[in-house]
Amino acid sequence: MPPPLLESISLAPLPAVDAYKGGIDRTLLLENLKLTPAERVDKMLAALRFAEAVRASRPQSVR
Amino acid sequence: MTDFGQLLGVLSHHQVRFIIIGGFAATAHGSAFLTVDLDVVYDRTAENVARLVEALAPLSPYLRGAPPGLPFRLDADTVASGLNFTLTTTAGDLDLLGEAAGGGTYDGLCSHTETRQVLGVDCRFVDLDTLIRLKRAAGRPKDLERIAELETLRLQRDG
Repeated sequence: MPPPLLESISLAPLPAVDAYKGGIDRTLLLENLKLTPAERVDKMLAALRFAEAVRASRPQSVR
Repeated sequence: MTDFGQLLGVLSHHQVRFIIIGGFAATAHGSAFLTVDLDVVYDRTAENVARLVEALAPLSPYLRGAPPGLPFRLDADTVASGLNFTLTTTAGDLDLLGEAAGGGTYDGLCSHTETRQVLGVDCRFVDLDTLIRLKRAAGRPKDLERIAELETLRLQRDG
């Protein structure tokens, strides 16, 4: 059983959460589920490094 | 960018007892969201706190977002008299939680973890159901989309 306070947190559907489910890209999740946890972390870090590189390459000023 | 490998490496090297929650745990479970910090629930026993502060000392931990120059020092007394700390370190951002929302203490969460090797380190991650419960307990509007993703992930995982 979950810890005492946490066990009172239901996993039943919540309308506020379900409202976002239509926007979830399930193909990304299916691809991730084929990977090991280590591979998932490596993939996320590669994406972070890419985002960092894009930010670093942004022009300092735009005319 | 946070060096997750370095943070996990120093904590592991010093045999700190901790459980990974938050976005990094979500990644290990298959989330497609990016995360920029490491959230851990640490064991608050005195010997573990001593190992924790020793492990982090070389990384110059400081309160994230606080003005520079405050007389802050992450030592055993500081950790014992506080609970949750949002830190910046030379290896990146680290949230140290003595208790996560919903009553998630180290002892309480221990039986809801999975050990996985990531970045060359054996790590304890909170399991997916408990991660969803923790996110729900936090009650933050910004988490709604992430909870939706984790719940979708759970459905896909369980077929």
